[in-house]
Amino acid sequence: MPATSAATATTPLRRLAVASTVNCSTEASAYGKCILQTYTDMKKDACKEEFAKFGACLRQTMKRKW
Amino acid sequence: MSPSLLARCSKSLSRNAVPCIRRLASISSSPSPNPTSVGPFQVFDREAKRIQKDRAASRDNGERSRTVDYVRESVADSMMERLLDIKRKFNTILDLGSGPGHLSKMLDSSTTTKVIMLDSSEKSLHRDPDDEFEVEVERISADEENLLGTIPRNSQEAIVSCLSLHWVNDLPGVLVQVKEALQPDGVFMGALFGGDTLFELRTSLQLAELEREGGISPHISPMTDTRDMSNLLGRAGFTLLTVDIDEVKVNYPSMWELMEDLRDMGESNAIIGRRNYIHRDTLAAASAIYKELHGNEDGSIPATFQIIHVIGWKPAPTQPKALERGTGKTNLKEIL
Repeated sequence: MPATSAATATTPLRRLAVASTVNCSTEASAYGKCILQTYTDMKKDACKEEFAKFGACLRQTMKRKW
Repeated sequence: MSPSLLARCSKSLSRNAVPCIRRLASISSSPSPNPTSVGPFQVFDREAKRIQKDRAASRDNGERSRTVDYVRESVADSMMERLLDIKRKFNTILDLGSGPGHLSKMLDSSTTTKVIMLDSSEKSLHRDPDDEFEVEVERISADEENLLGTIPRNSQEAIVSCLSLHWVNDLPGVLVQVKEALQPDGVFMGALFGGDTLFELRTSLQLAELEREGGISPHISPMTDTRDMSNLLGRAGFTLLTVDIDEVKVNYPSMWELMEDLRDMGESNAIIGRRNYIHRDTLAAASAIYKELHGNEDGSIPATFQIIHVIGWKPAPTQPKALERGTGKTNLKEIL
C-alpha cells in the first residue's frame, strides 16, 4: 500500500488505514501510550478521552460519521 | 440474521424456494455444529476456509496470492533441508494440504520422481502451471480431514505437509490417517503453525475490543503447542519422532498491510462462531495499540510466525530402534 493521503486511497478500508496511520498518527500514538500504561488491568473505556480525540480525527479525515 | 430467518433458510432445500437474505458480506456456509453429537470438537469452519482459499488464489488472477508466498516459501525451504537429510529416493511423495505447491516446487528428481498434491481448495491447487515444477505432478482436490477416503492404506512412501494442518479440526485423527496411508517405514514430515503465531495481532485485537467494546471474540485461531505435537505423533503410532520449533519474523509498515496479506494468503479467520465484522473504531484502535505495544523503533510492526517442524516414521520390523533402558555399557562419567 503506498503511503498516500486518505483522499487518494481507493477502498474505504484503505482510507481508514491511511487515516489511522498517517493523518492521525499523533492521536493514535497518544491512545496507544494510554493503553500501554493500563493494559495489565484493562477495562471498557479505560482510554475513552484519548480515543475520542483519535476518533474525531478519523471522522474528520474520512469526512464521514459513524 | 434472526433465528427465525435462519430456520426458514435451512429448511428450504427445494430449488425454487425463496433465497436466503444475506445481510452481511461474509461466508456463513457450514451448518452450525450439533453440540450433542459425538466426535472431534469442531473449531474451524472448513467450508468457509475452502472458499477463502479459492478466493485468495483467484484474486487478480493469482498475482496477489503469489506476492504473499514469502512465509510459506521460507518454511518450505527449511523443510527441504530436513527432507534432504533423508538419504532415500522416493517414487512418489504426497503433499498434504499443498496449496499451489510451495514445497512441491522445490522437489527435484534426486528426491522423488513424482509428487501428488492434495488440497481442498481447487483454485489454489491449479494456481500455478505444471512447468514450474521439476517433477511430475498429480493434483487431487479432496478434504484433508478425510485422507483415507482418497488415499488407500499402506500406499505412500512419504507424506509431507507444509503449513496446512492448522485448519484441521481433528488433528489427532488426521495424524492417524497419515500413519495408515503410509507404507511401513514410510516417513511423515510436517510443518505447522505453533501457539505463538501472530501473538502481537491477537493481543492488539483483544485489548482494542476490550477497551472499545467491553468484551473479546475469537479472531486468531487456537494453535498447537510443541509438547502437544510430540504427544499426538506418539499417540498416532509414529516412531523415531523429531519435533523442533522455528520462528519467522516479518516486518510490516502497519497492521493493515499484515491483515491484507493474511487475507491474500487465504488465512482469514475461519473459526466457527466468529464475528463477521470488526467495528472500524476497534480496528483503528487495534492498529494504534499494535504500533505502541509491539512496534519497532523505525515505525514498522513485527509479526511472528512460530513454526513447529515434525518428523515421524511408521514403524517397521526392519527399522532401527532405541535400546532398552539400562542396557548401556559405557558410563557417561568416563566420557565427560
